Amino acid sequence: MIAMRNPIWPVMLAVVTLLTACGGDPPQQDTLNVNDGLDSATQSARMKKTKNIFYNIPSPMETAALLKKAGADYNSKILNDVKNVDKYTAASQQALNLGVYGADLSYASVFNHTQESMFYTSCARKLADRLGVINAFNDSTLELMQSKMNDRDALLDVISETYWNVDAYLKENGRDNISALMIAGGWVEGLYIATQVAASNDSPELRQRIAEQKFALGDLIGLIESYEVDDERLNGVREDMKALQVLFADVNMGGGDNTVSDENGVAVIGGSAPAATLTDAQLGAIRDKAAAIRNTYIN
Amino acid sequence: MLNVRSILASAAAAGLLFLFAAPAQAQCKAFAKNKCVPELAPFKFNETFNAAQLAPGEEAEVNLTFFSGQEYRVMVCSHPILGEVNWKLVDANNKIVFESLADEPKHQFDLKATSTLQMKVVVWVPTKPKTELVHVGCVAILVGFKE
Repeated sequence: MIAMRNPIWPVMLAVVTLLTACGGDPPQQDTLNVNDGLDSATQSARMKKTKNIFYNIPSPMETAALLKKAGADYNSKILNDVKNVDKYTAASQQALNLGVYGADLSYASVFNHTQESMFYTSCARKLADRLGVINAFNDSTLELMQSKMNDRDALLDVISETYWNVDAYLKENGRDNISALMIAGGWVEGLYIATQVAASNDSPELRQRIAEQKFALGDLIGLIESYEVDDERLNGVREDMKALQVLFADVNMGGGDNTVSDENGVAVIGGSAPAATLTDAQLGAIRDKAAAIRNTYIN
Repeated sequence: MLNVRSILASAAAAGLLFLFAAPAQAQCKAFAKNKCVPELAPFKFNETFNAAQLAPGEEAEVNLTFFSGQEYRVMVCSHPILGEVNWKLVDANNKIVFESLADEPKHQFDLKATSTLQMKVVVWVPTKPKTELVHVGCVAILVGFKE
């Protein structure tokens, strides 16, 4: 009867359920010694070199939307197990898997699997909390998501805003290397999902979207290399990305000279060459490598 | 005497620059979120926080990938304290696709990519006469896409 009279109770119950859905109590952390150890001189030197250059990596939401448009299907079995969340005790692992769960969350949400979205949100929140990202995820975010469960577009907006809050918080608090790890984790998970989906649901459109990740990979390596800090984990991720870059090296990107025309006030821009694609061998090699790298991040 | 006055003026300008810069840094995210992101509608924000504190004479650039078949809005949003800023969108061959100059400003550019493109947005803040105080302000480069 109380629940019937007071509509806040179902929401609170759902939030409590979500908070317990993704693992148990957080284990003892080893350390949260992230970018804080960076001496101000090093930070200042990096700022001088890179302060005005940005690397725009496609977000997990954008990648998931591209996959859906390319005719990909949804497969929950390939996503990271929510029970893994408590295994991530090192800050670098938490950052990588915040990206991984963020990508899983976007994939589930874009394909309208809202219940799973909520579980992945809970995982992402736990990792964000442990990384000390204040106020990006809070109870009101979860309540808002719960209330928007039947409104896919509104739910996607909440998720987008939350991802941007986390990224902006990290960057504004001088923890760009943690942000870079999160972005790398999310991008690897997106590539993993795309290549796994292509294994069972192959299409030229899907191959094209995977091939086009060559551009994003170049930007991701540029982002990571803009940090001159001696961050072992970031160095390892850079080497992982360079190993993938070798596999993308011979991928034909199509394109050609761009022409610009006007269509109802919108500039239409593009080249005349055929779209990017992958051979079977290239797709297989990228799929295997992405799976191997992702495996080291989630385990 | 003139030198002393000049030094004092420089010190005061530097102090003011510092005073403006510190709170502006903290407010850059809020500025981008509240002022710029809503203007991307009906495009969906791509969730990437590209914003920096710039002073007159400074530049920022961001590499972007536009995927074939997708529609995008590129927006450069700057704090009013800076006045109008210049920006351009150039392709991989450095050919200018779009340019906005301070005397004829446009804050956004909509495009449809028929093939997947790598482009670059370059933003630069016009210099001001030396007599004016140097202000630092937030400049955000945002991208929206249609799902």
